[in-house]
Amino acid sequence: MSIWPTEREYIAGPEDFETVDMTINIGPAHPATHGVFRMILTVDGERVVDCEPFIGYLHRGLEKLTENADYRQAMGWWDRTDYLAGMSCEMAYCMAVEKLAGIQIPERAEYIRVMMAELSRIASHFIAIGSFGQDVGSFGTSFTYAWRERERIYDFFEEVAGDRMFPTYLRPGGLQMDLPENYEPRVRWLINSIRQGIDDLDGLLTGNEIFVERCRGLSEINTERAINLGLTGPMIRATGYAWDIRKDVPYSVYDQFDFEIPTGFGTGDVLDRYLVRMAEMYQSTRIVEQCLDKLPGGLVLHPDLPKTIRIDDAECYIRTEGTKGEYSVYGMARGGNKPYRMKLRSPSFCNLSALKELVVGHYVADAVIILGSLDIVLGEVDK
Amino acid sequence: MSQEPQSPAVEETPAPQYPGIAALIHKKLPSIPFVATETKDNVDLRIGPENLLELARGLKETPGLDFDFFNNLTAIDMQEEGLYAKYFFASYKQHHDVQVTVVTPPGEPNIPSLTGLWGAANWHEREAYEMVGLVFDGHPDLKNLLLDEDLHIHPLLKAHPLVKAEIVQGIEDATPGFKF
Repeated sequence: MSIWPTEREYIAGPEDFETVDMTINIGPAHPATHGVFRMILTVDGERVVDCEPFIGYLHRGLEKLTENADYRQAMGWWDRTDYLAGMSCEMAYCMAVEKLAGIQIPERAEYIRVMMAELSRIASHFIAIGSFGQDVGSFGTSFTYAWRERERIYDFFEEVAGDRMFPTYLRPGGLQMDLPENYEPRVRWLINSIRQGIDDLDGLLTGNEIFVERCRGLSEINTERAINLGLTGPMIRATGYAWDIRKDVPYSVYDQFDFEIPTGFGTGDVLDRYLVRMAEMYQSTRIVEQCLDKLPGGLVLHPDLPKTIRIDDAECYIRTEGTKGEYSVYGMARGGNKPYRMKLRSPSFCNLSALKELVVGHYVADAVIILGSLDIVLGEVDK
Repeated sequence: MSQEPQSPAVEETPAPQYPGIAALIHKKLPSIPFVATETKDNVDLRIGPENLLELARGLKETPGLDFDFFNNLTAIDMQEEGLYAKYFFASYKQHHDVQVTVVTPPGEPNIPSLTGLWGAANWHEREAYEMVGLVFDGHPDLKNLLLDEDLHIHPLLKAHPLVKAEIVQGIEDATPGFKF
């Protein structure tokens, strides 16, 4: 009898070879989780058979705090939800307060808001793609390329509002102040720089065979299932379904702009999500350019705002396209200068709830990539 | 003496109003009673918890309504009026949306779970459960999501204090020896 295993045994192991599932804990402080997020993976060999996410490590009680603060005071907490795109969070919150109070804001303020929200979207997508490239294995380079452009956008935010990540630039009723004098050449230079940055990243990642092969066909999902799981934003567009709140349920002045909704090739895999984000950044630069061309003059803050905003019985639901998906705010007022209830429907929270279904059946090494492709930001997940 | 003819007393009940999308929903699902009102930007249907599952299934599966997207769930403590669960459903196919308010009376926070219809409902219901204490019957895994597993408090109840010292005191009163 040969001491060497037969060919069958060599491939599949002996018949009575017992295997046990192993449990792997990732997080809460782990570079691959992009924040304080923890997941417990149950693996059979290299395959994930179960995944349980744990969140709440960054829970700050946003909704409770908002209920206990003046309408204007609560602003500062809302741009700490999606802390990579503070301006678009502020925009959703301000729109909710304005809808409840029935405040019309000047047109110039609307255009500047859209411009800031789109610049935030670009900055957020740069971070998403840069760190995603790092997850896949482009150590540092993609992140540095992305960070360069993001810093330039944040420098502009600092000039405009005095702060980089949490600008608190918007106010219920308009904006805190007007743009600085030299804004136009500044933003045009910024757009060129961003487009150069997109090209650089595109050349680094999209043209890289290792990157593409690693992402293609990974974690596929069809449109119907994605809708049932509540996926929004680039996640749903990656499945080939052109849905964007900016186009389909237009808010602010988004109906004035000419832009396209990029979609994936229909498989909804990780590569599609990456490509959709890449194309979206380019479309956002188009919107910013049109903002500059169309920017009307006039005031940036409603001239007759009351000193204290008091709202009687009212409720509203504001749907906006945040950077990660549908960022919606439910507001309810029952008199007084504080909201009775403010609820955030955060896109990262809803996208992350589908993690189990997206990860199960794939390799452990790919679980990190799939998590990166969701583009979660934990400030928004945990509220 | 002239006496006006007495008409038999008729209870004047105003005909129910169905603004916007509510008219379509009433036409497609006539058996489900609801009260429709208008909010600032859309239509709100008010129902009891016993009708929720039937209405939700009708909204999702009736051709012409096609509410395929479970958008949001907001749990609200209305104090003496009980707890409200405000669902927000949308339709990708038909481009319309509706808000459904489920009113649970004080002391009876039970409500059917919609996880069988929409996978998206899972985490929203867990969040509502821990934040105000709504109990979703039929939920596969109803436990704390954002808060610590052992922490049985409902922070978004209006009676819950905001200040940390009072919260810690409350927890220690309820569970002696608890380390916050």
